[in-house]
Amino acid sequence: MTAPTVERPVRRSRPGVAALPGRALVRLGPVSVQVRRRSVLVAATLVVLLLAAGLLSLCLGTPYVALPDVLRALSGTGTPYDLVVLDLRLPRLVLAAVAGAAFGVAGTLIQSVARNPLASPDVVGVTQGAGLAATVALTTGAAAVLVAPAALVGGLVAAVLLFALGARHGLAAQRFVLAGVAVAFALRALTEVVMLTADPIDGMRAQIWLIGTLAGRGWTETLWIALTLVALLPVLAWAGWALNSTALDDDTARGIGLRPVARRIGLAGTGVVAAAMVTAQVGAVDFVALVAPQLARRLVRAERPPLVCAALLGALLLVLADLAGRRLFAPTQLPAGVLTAAIGGPYLIFLLVRGRRRSS
Amino acid sequence: MLSTRDLVAGYDERTVLDGLDLELPGDAFTVIVGPNACGKSTLLRTLARLLTPRRGAVLLDGTAIRDLPTREVARRLGVLPQSPLVPEGVTVADLVGRGRQPYQRWWRQWSESDSAAVDRAMALADVTGLADRPVDTLSGGQRQRVWIAMTLAQDTEALLLDEPTTFLDLAHQVEVLDLLHRLRVERGRTVVAVLHDLNQAARYADHLIAMRSGAVVAAGPPRQILTADLVRDVFGLDCVVVPCPVTGAPLVVPALTSPSLARPSGAAGLAGSAGPSGAAGLAGSAGPSGAAGPAGSTDAAGSVGPAPAGAPTPAPRPSAGPAVNSRTGSYPSKGI
Repeated sequence: MTAPTVERPVRRSRPGVAALPGRALVRLGPVSVQVRRRSVLVAATLVVLLLAAGLLSLCLGTPYVALPDVLRALSGTGTPYDLVVLDLRLPRLVLAAVAGAAFGVAGTLIQSVARNPLASPDVVGVTQGAGLAATVALTTGAAAVLVAPAALVGGLVAAVLLFALGARHGLAAQRFVLAGVAVAFALRALTEVVMLTADPIDGMRAQIWLIGTLAGRGWTETLWIALTLVALLPVLAWAGWALNSTALDDDTARGIGLRPVARRIGLAGTGVVAAAMVTAQVGAVDFVALVAPQLARRLVRAERPPLVCAALLGALLLVLADLAGRRLFAPTQLPAGVLTAAIGGPYLIFLLVRGRRRSS
Repeated sequence: MLSTRDLVAGYDERTVLDGLDLELPGDAFTVIVGPNACGKSTLLRTLARLLTPRRGAVLLDGTAIRDLPTREVARRLGVLPQSPLVPEGVTVADLVGRGRQPYQRWWRQWSESDSAAVDRAMALADVTGLADRPVDTLSGGQRQRVWIAMTLAQDTEALLLDEPTTFLDLAHQVEVLDLLHRLRVERGRTVVAVLHDLNQAARYADHLIAMRSGAVVAAGPPRQILTADLVRDVFGLDCVVVPCPVTGAPLVVPALTSPSLARPSGAAGLAGSAGPSGAAGLAGSAGPSGAAGPAGSTDAAGSVGPAPAGAPTPAPRPSAGPAVNSRTGSYPSKGI
């Protein structure tokens, strides 16, 4: 009889409470949280990069503002550049960061429920719902202030539709994605009908809204997205933990005392609300939600997208995309939505190629 | 400790279990056997509350399992589903740590007892040395031990396993079953498993449950209930049941389904190895097994070659031990 390979049991010294390998335990009174060491490293790096990109974005443009002047303007000592830095560039920069983070969060939650790296608010129909409502608002001559609220309602209605269609069989991954694709296609068709029957000028405005741009937007939009994220914060704290089990199949999850269906509904619901809000404010800057979670997952080397790192990476991507959109073909401004794909796409391809080489 | 009362369960329109009353003994290794689609997996999944019964109830120490919070059930009942999905890139220790879920909250994600339980479970399942390896790089047998370790980390009194040996080679099957046996004997855990192999069931089970089309045909210690009649009843298969040469447990050997399967070279082997131990009676009883003689002799000539037909020379195969020989005498009298 062939003896199965026996691994020497290696006793590693574990002084006190050791967390799992590769994790660190953060304790604060009765609260104990497990953190991947690698994700702390990645998050810290991303914060540094985000700050650097932010400063760069405040410097570049017409006129060019030197870094010392930017810092002086930020510290509020009063410079000739206050208008350019504080009133024109800073609001847009902060909006890019906050919106990018929201896209990252939404993408992470939706992808982990869909168990599909290609899922995003765009695929499950939330974007199309917001788009349809915004198009209707823009082409019927509704007041400009009504566009964002309408888009929010549209996104949420699409989400309700998605849940109604996907709910059978406990919002299983396949069904969730298929329901989303169906909702997305139906709503996109309706949007096109509205656009084609509308005044060409209004149709053009709707088209620009759909691509997603940060131009001419600032504190108001930032405030709405930030408020949503803050309101969702307790849920997000739970989600960061709950995401751990999304890679398990339902039977295994139930076996260890989880309620996978309730979990999925909670995670998907949170993701969809975040997606509807951010899309309503800045339009469909979609690629961020698709690519940020996957890039973050590969950087952290986890089995599922990490929430915090995906948010930071989303912020960084959108800040860079907006900066590139502003400067690349200046004075022509490209919408950030166009540029996110241009930046994120090649990098994802690079990671895929590298990953394949390593695994082969 | 686990029992069912008037249990009706199934999938969509198909009712698989229809009014099942069953008592699973505590502190025992119970094995559920039966033909494909007999409802054994459905029963196990219903027992483990992975499937909600349409009617009736599963009782855990007298309380209906669906009235208990799932977290509490998870502290008393560990479950290993049939083919769990291996999350990509998760390390062994990480996966085993998931077994601590019922003891954790999002604000209290890890504690001393979690560490201790994970260490204990990994040592018990002999996967401590693999702690830092990604689960998806392990062999099937190692993987199964890791999954078992995960359920062990739950620190439950009972463990339910759905075909834990499927897709494993024989050595790994034995390894997994030995682990379950140790859990039951050394740790006093209650183990319930669905198995396909009757002989393994007979060897390891304290309590055997034989099912057919959603009903229990027989239940009890395998040495008492596992007979040729039962196998015919449950699987529709003619067989011979002999004592296992190693454990003495019932050993199920399918009956001869085609004369060409009975090769005299095999008989020669038996007779040959019996030869040195001086059991002339054996050779004699194997010899006159009439019909097989002429048909088999050509076979023997073909395979053995120089051996003169009708007088098979002792085959050089000393692999069978004396324990086998002492019992082979019963084979010719199987009366097929």
